[in-house]
Amino acid sequence: MTPMRAMVIDDSRAMRMILKRIVTKLNFEAVEAGDGKEAMDLLADMTEVPELALIDWNMPNMNGLEFVTKVRADPRLREMTLVMVTTESEQSQIVRALAAGAHEYVIKPFTEGAMIEKLALLGLVPTGANS
Amino acid sequence: MSVEVEVDESDLAEMVEQVWESYLDPEGVSPLIPTYDENQPSEVHSSVSITGSWTGHVVYASSRAAAQRAAAAFLAMELEEVSEEDISDTLGELANIVGGNVKAMLPPGAQLSLPQVNLSPEASARFPNTQRISGVYGVWEGEPVSISMWQSSTDNKEEGA
Repeated sequence: MTPMRAMVIDDSRAMRMILKRIVTKLNFEAVEAGDGKEAMDLLADMTEVPELALIDWNMPNMNGLEFVTKVRADPRLREMTLVMVTTESEQSQIVRALAAGAHEYVIKPFTEGAMIEKLALLGLVPTGANS
Repeated sequence: MSVEVEVDESDLAEMVEQVWESYLDPEGVSPLIPTYDENQPSEVHSSVSITGSWTGHVVYASSRAAAQRAAAAFLAMELEEVSEEDISDTLGELANIVGGNVKAMLPPGAQLSLPQVNLSPEASARFPNTQRISGVYGVWEGEPVSISMWQSSTDNKEEGA
């Protein structure tokens, strides 16, 4: 079975490593990007689009909200599940992200269990992957 | 514009507890033990600036050993594998997480900067015209760690106006 792919987009290498560790545990192949622009550049070169993107909000060059907006405007990327993972926890910001096309919203700090629970709600946790 | 600060020490303590539970002590075996000593020493620090409805800085400071331990916990590494870059990344993210959560408690209109990391003591920090207004001070496995809020005195003056 072909593993699913996840793109981890965060300007913090430490946070990318945490997220990568979680998705790898769930049998995803992980690709990292340091900001939205780098992620868009990587996506442009990919023949197969990742099933999942975990996206920070505050990043240089292209922030997470801009990335979500660009992905949603590109028909080739419409199947991607987009999850914002950010410290931006005001209700208005959550509404903005969901309105732009994010599917879920995870507020930092998060536990590994909380993240896996969110991904399970999105149907992205294969049975037995978190054992 | 200036506002009354609505983030107190118990709010900061709650955030810190969440950070420990999520990243630094997920097993719940080595919490940050409060010392209430705002003059405890530090060797490294990181900060984020907040501007807008409140102006100031949120600062994470610790000993180098605590920073190394934080990086090891954050990145799931052995202590001896931790590099300067790992410490720097981890300190930056810790400031970002705490600062982001502080911002969420402020009235709308606050903006958060990207984190700054200084592998030097907090005492050497350059936060001109600021005053420390709140903080959580403790020891983690015997090493000092603090999280504090520094308000711009410009903000103070406007409050009194």
